[in-house]
Amino acid sequence: MASQPEPPHPHHVDPSTEQALSIWFFVGVLMLGCGLIILGQGIYEFSHPGTTMLANLHPAFWWGMVMTLFGGFYTIHFRPGKG
Amino acid sequence: MNPMHLVPIPAVLMFAGTQLTHLAPIDIAILLLYFAMVVFIGFYVKGSTNTSEQFFLAGREMSAWIAGLSFVSANLGSLELMGWAGAAYQYGILATHWYWIGAIPAMLFLGIVMMPFYYISKTHSVPGYLQLRFGEGARGLSGICFAFMTILMSGVNMYAMAAVMQVVLGWNIYFSMWVGAATVAIYVMLGGLRSAIINEVLQFVLIWAGAMLIPILGLIEAGGWTNLKAQIAQRMGAEYTHLWSTTGSFSANPMGVHWTGIVFGLGFVISFGYWTTDFLVVQRVLSANSLRAARLAPVIGSAFKMFVPFFVILPGLLALVLLKDSAGHLIQLYPADSDMVLHHGAHNFNEVLPLMMVRYLGPGLLGLGITALIAGFMSGMAGNISAFSTVWTYDIYGAYINKKASDSHYVLMGRWSTIIGMIVSVGTAYLVMHAASIMDYVQALFSFFIAPLFGTVILGMLWKRASKAGGFWGLLAGTVASIAMFLYTSTGSAAHKANALAHIALSRDAQPMAENLYRAAWSWLICVFVTVVVSYMTKAKSETELTGLVYGSTVIPHDGSTNVFEKPIFWAIVVAVVLFALNLWLW
Repeated sequence: MASQPEPPHPHHVDPSTEQALSIWFFVGVLMLGCGLIILGQGIYEFSHPGTTMLANLHPAFWWGMVMTLFGGFYTIHFRPGKG
Repeated sequence: MNPMHLVPIPAVLMFAGTQLTHLAPIDIAILLLYFAMVVFIGFYVKGSTNTSEQFFLAGREMSAWIAGLSFVSANLGSLELMGWAGAAYQYGILATHWYWIGAIPAMLFLGIVMMPFYYISKTHSVPGYLQLRFGEGARGLSGICFAFMTILMSGVNMYAMAAVMQVVLGWNIYFSMWVGAATVAIYVMLGGLRSAIINEVLQFVLIWAGAMLIPILGLIEAGGWTNLKAQIAQRMGAEYTHLWSTTGSFSANPMGVHWTGIVFGLGFVISFGYWTTDFLVVQRVLSANSLRAARLAPVIGSAFKMFVPFFVILPGLLALVLLKDSAGHLIQLYPADSDMVLHHGAHNFNEVLPLMMVRYLGPGLLGLGITALIAGFMSGMAGNISAFSTVWTYDIYGAYINKKASDSHYVLMGRWSTIIGMIVSVGTAYLVMHAASIMDYVQALFSFFIAPLFGTVILGMLWKRASKAGGFWGLLAGTVASIAMFLYTSTGSAAHKANALAHIALSRDAQPMAENLYRAAWSWLICVFVTVVVSYMTKAKSETELTGLVYGSTVIPHDGSTNVFEKPIFWAIVVAVVLFALNLWLW
């Protein structure tokens, strides 16, 4: 669903919301924060295996990794002040 | 006014089991991170919500993607997620109809056909459109009903969240209610719709992140979709995994519905009524920054909506064959009001999603899942409260109590009505806590109003001859008829109820679920019939009065698309084709 290119705003304001911080930046920070916490738990579970079903697949590690990468990309890409 | 409320979740009976799990410190950390961000957003956007347009319609500055995600997110409440996961366990894959035929066609219709009229008329609300098209009577009736419903529904969400947290985590019910209410009140009061929309986008991402892992791990454990279907067919019967092939008769499927009820009652009347006239969701699209964005937003929302069954319906199906106790025996879930749940400590259908969470999600991931559920509840409250505050301020206070106040006065009224609305919601939550049946009635109330409202709006948009009196009397007749049918089928002896259901749903084999579908269809027909008859008996509006409001009297401006990939209709066709293919696959 291609969206029409938006004209650059003179004050680095997110044109979709008229805010200096983009909605996508908030999304990125939340995902990055949660991702890092879960990734840390996932690494810990390599030495202290979890008791949930299929814990042997290390879902916390892999899901934490995906969320960290997703959140990190959005945080950097939509960081404040990026022209 | 949510089609999802067709599966009533009895209040106090919703969770009657014992505490399911507890949160580890890192789960609490995730929860606190979410709460901190939500409150920060409220304070952050406060500075840019100084005018009524900014406070109530987010300044009409949202991009198609943000309006679209917010549009679909406003409907992704936790009450619905848990209720429909339970419905999938109870009725099988038929529950998917409420997400596909019961949503997608209506969303596409809103974007392609109806949005131009809402957008061009520059209305601030659906009752506002009715005022422009049919005058004050229709606006007053719909505005008062809508304000009443939203405030009650916000309270129901609040109570449901507290009840879930009490049973899943053992939290004090009053603590959950007041913390949830205060948080939502702060961020909606400060930032209005803008703040609600930003939080809905966050909630959307959280729900996908928090819930997606359950079906993924479930499918791995089941050995893939084909193996899962085979296991369900062996345990429950093949009808649990077919969407359409068993709907030729009421008695051939677990839900007791006929395809006519699904197509006309759900797919047409209820779904179109909810997705095209419920201001709670339409308000999100009205915040779009251009006509093209307003038309594209529901299309984007529908594309995401199509995949929601993956993490709502699939967990319910997986639980049928995978949910086992520590000894490896399948856990049987029961209706919430059954003897097994009430007196023997068994789990009920609505607990299926939390139970699947506990099965697969360890520390950290469980915190993410619980945060997603809480976000869903808070978003449900915020959606209702922000819509209430808009309709109250514009369509009740500004229309009948104080017509000539300044813009800043209306913004102040919006903020105060948010606070007062939230206090009334807390009162509703307390009421529900002490009288469980109120929650059932509140959920039923939503279905009374929505089908006739759709009749009035669609005739108003597509039929020039519909008159002011026709619109009002049609809406009133449809609403009264819907209430009368509800009373007819829900009061009296069991024999009378069965008889009444057979009359409304046209079959002795019909189950209560079918009653909702047929009641909606009848009330819509009555609304349309009365509107047409009264319109022919009364004077029509002039052509100039209808400009910008009705098809045939309105020149719809070009939406700015420069190539086929920018056209909302192109993406609507893509979504429709995928929907058709999915239905065929699961026929």
